[in-house]
Amino acid sequence: MHITQGQFSFLPALTDEQIKRQVKWALDHEWAVSVEYTDDPHPRNTYWEMHGHPMFDLRDPAGVMEEITACRLAFPSHYIRVMAFDSSEGWETPRMSFIVNRPDHEPGFRVERQEGPGRSLRYTVRSYAVERPEGQRY
Amino acid sequence: MNTAQSHVERRITLEGEGVQRVLERVNRELVGLAPVKARIGQIAALLMVDRARRELGLTTEPPTLHMSFTGNPGTGKTTMALRLAEILHELGYVRSSHVIAVTRDDLVGQYIGHTAPKTKEVIKRAMGGVLFIDEAYYLYRPENERDYGQESIEILLQAMENDRDDLVVIVAGYQDRMDRFFQSNPGLHSRIAHHIEFPDYSAEELLTVGDLLLEEQGYHFTEAGRQAFADYLERRMQQPHFSNARSVRNALDRFRLRQAMRLVEQGGSLGAEELAAIDAREVLASSVFGKASGR
Amino acid sequence: MTLLTLICRGPTAALHGADRRDGDEGGKHMARQLNPKARYTPGVIPYKQMGYWEPDYDVKDTDVVAVFRITPQAGVDPEEAAAAVAGESSTATWTVVWTDRLTNCELYRAKAFQVDPVPGNPEQFFAFIAYDLELFEPGSIANLTASIIGNVFGFKAVKALRLEDMRFPVAYLKTFSGPPTGIVVERERLDKFGRPLLGATTKPKLGLSGRNYGRVVYEALRGGLDFVKDDENINSQSFMHWRDRFLYCMEAVNRASAATGEVKGHYLNVTAGTMEQMYERAEFAKELGSVIVMIDLVVGYTAIQSMANWCRRNDMILHLHRAGHGTYTRQKSHGVAFRVIAKWMRMAGVDHIHAGTVVGKLEGDPHMIKGIYDTCREIRTPRNLETGLFFDQDWASLNKVMPVASGGIHAGQMHQLLTYLGDDTVLQFGGGTIGHPRGIAAGAQANRVALEAMVLARNEGRDIWHEGPAILDQAARWCTPLRQALEVWKDITFDYASTDTPDFVVQETVSA
Repeated sequence: MHITQGQFSFLPALTDEQIKRQVKWALDHEWAVSVEYTDDPHPRNTYWEMHGHPMFDLRDPAGVMEEITACRLAFPSHYIRVMAFDSSEGWETPRMSFIVNRPDHEPGFRVERQEGPGRSLRYTVRSYAVERPEGQRY
Repeated sequence: MNTAQSHVERRITLEGEGVQRVLERVNRELVGLAPVKARIGQIAALLMVDRARRELGLTTEPPTLHMSFTGNPGTGKTTMALRLAEILHELGYVRSSHVIAVTRDDLVGQYIGHTAPKTKEVIKRAMGGVLFIDEAYYLYRPENERDYGQESIEILLQAMENDRDDLVVIVAGYQDRMDRFFQSNPGLHSRIAHHIEFPDYSAEELLTVGDLLLEEQGYHFTEAGRQAFADYLERRMQQPHFSNARSVRNALDRFRLRQAMRLVEQGGSLGAEELAAIDAREVLASSVFGKASGR
Repeated sequence: MTLLTLICRGPTAALHGADRRDGDEGGKHMARQLNPKARYTPGVIPYKQMGYWEPDYDVKDTDVVAVFRITPQAGVDPEEAAAAVAGESSTATWTVVWTDRLTNCELYRAKAFQVDPVPGNPEQFFAFIAYDLELFEPGSIANLTASIIGNVFGFKAVKALRLEDMRFPVAYLKTFSGPPTGIVVERERLDKFGRPLLGATTKPKLGLSGRNYGRVVYEALRGGLDFVKDDENINSQSFMHWRDRFLYCMEAVNRASAATGEVKGHYLNVTAGTMEQMYERAEFAKELGSVIVMIDLVVGYTAIQSMANWCRRNDMILHLHRAGHGTYTRQKSHGVAFRVIAKWMRMAGVDHIHAGTVVGKLEGDPHMIKGIYDTCREIRTPRNLETGLFFDQDWASLNKVMPVASGGIHAGQMHQLLTYLGDDTVLQFGGGTIGHPRGIAAGAQANRVALEAMVLARNEGRDIWHEGPAILDQAARWCTPLRQALEVWKDITFDYASTDTPDFVVQETVSA
């Protein structure tokens, strides 16, 4: 399976040159860019680990690219995403999010169903990977 | 068709229009500084040639561009850094012409583990442009062996070496202190390609600086005012804490205050000439003339 | 050098107090009117003289302002027609009543204060009317609309009447809760940023059993869409009971979420015959874990506000299908402009609203659509005649509404859709997903690939308006479903003239 979170998961994995141009787009909008990683990519896992704070006041993507490289080095088999935060009025929220690293093998998720009265069901989406402890998942 | 022949065939013109514009602006904006301007002109020429050489395949190594600007305060180091960034941008050696100007406080932290992220953050902000570190020698405090400045220097050195495509570093400060700083940090010294000394302005140059600054603000000296200002400079330059163009700017600010006070006290109707003229009275009221003139 | 010049003979003076004539000192309201004694003599007198025409009126910041397009009957003076509209939408009746004098009637009267000719149309006029805040009950669209469009549209003195735009004072807007979720929070909940969302309406509209219906939902979501949608008339018919539909759809949503690792949703239409039934259906959708429910515009303004409150209480996104609006929004001479409906719906509190596609099969002039999208998404909308916005409007921190583009759009138009509509919209490809020759999932994948490729290219600084087809072709080289989609629908366009078009046009002029 192939997790399709983020803006560009249906495209072939972005090259560093392509990532750089996306980061440039973010910086040109004065958005702060951050790098986050996780080994628990559940669709409701909002808080991936921050690889440092969002980088404010950058003018050039080179600094972000360094952080991406460092994060990939430290967590080669984790999911890593780049996010861009907009602090302007009416937004104050992420404006971009795309995956720049993923494990070679993605086991994915299963659906668990709990039957209730009147044929109703309570659903749980569970990740195969998180059955192993943190750090040993991918 | 052998390759040697095609090398001979291919010719290239040095493109320097943009650079020329910046150099002209430097000439216009900055009085004097002839040796500095000459050095900057040489560096620009060298980079133009380097670019052409790379295009013809004569060299591949990107040039080292880190520099040191030494000289007393107010000798135009910061302004020159801004213009240099423009020149480098025109020639494609940096992707943007922005300059991030910092001092020790921006780079060095207060507690353990604070310095590295601080320095790295500054480097990331400067990437793609120029990092200007004023009074860089404050980074090095040999008297305190637990000082975090050394950590910052190490990180800077690494960035100056590894991120040469992304970052140009200019360190700046007083000549003598920079010399001592480089002696104790040979690694830094060896990574700097161009050392540029900024001489003090002569009294004559400072007088011109004064004229230019006043003109920018829509003022001018009266004949007597200008004479008094020349006397003022003679005395002021002998005193401690003289900082060249910066001192001139500060003095002019005080002259304008005094002129305004005089006009208010004088009352009556005023013409444009009176509102624009800085007279000897404003200049001679300065404390450099002792108490002779009084207020 | 070319300059954009707004050609406008119209309401330049509206709401720009400084430009307006000053009234004569003292008694300026009554100058052209009858004295009180004559005014209340029993009988019939012109509306204009009853105080509904006040050309010198200073519009207050706290007034609700409306602009109507009026087509007076032959021989009716436009100012009198405007006054009549003001009268009939506020205090007046056809004759004089003495009971007016028991009230502070000056305040309650709506005031027509300006009449401008419609450019290029000698029969029609824009009438600007101000209503005091006092006239309206807080937080009730039903009350607002009962006044503004309650009686007046059947009025004989006008041949046709259209409510073009309204301006609401901040104090009044603050009595409404607005969208329960809003664009920002919707995106955070769905964890989807930086691109339009993708949806599709299940087809065929009618006849699928719950089991077959859920199959369409599953295929489309698994293939790459974010949302699938019930159509407006899918409620609870014999072929598919609502509970059945909800159960099968939520099975599909959860299976697709597990298959992709993404949050997915299906707009479960809870429209029903009574409010009680709507609540019952919405509660069931919530129990099953749906992130969104849907209603049709035909349920009425009060029901919409009630559902907005329910959604706010239960952390649900509220999708509004604008069923029925075409009966009164489309014709330029008569009805209510859709931008006004969009304003009312932002106040009433819906999170999604169908707002036009420009390029699809449904009505939509690019400028008018921009005005509607701005109304949904901006925190302030300045006066912009070219897009049909007559007034500066501050949205008083009401959440933003996500506009939905639905109807006859396909992957080959992606560059146009992204350029016209921007990032914060749901692009709904119904036929354009389900009609794909290789199946629903392939159709969904084609749309998602086309969208991501286009966003990527735009962010890289490419000129997608011109390079769009080349960008799609490039992606189609490695994405077979996209190649098939482009081939099947390559020549499909809906090239009809719009009926709802701007009256004020931008004209390029050459300046020396």
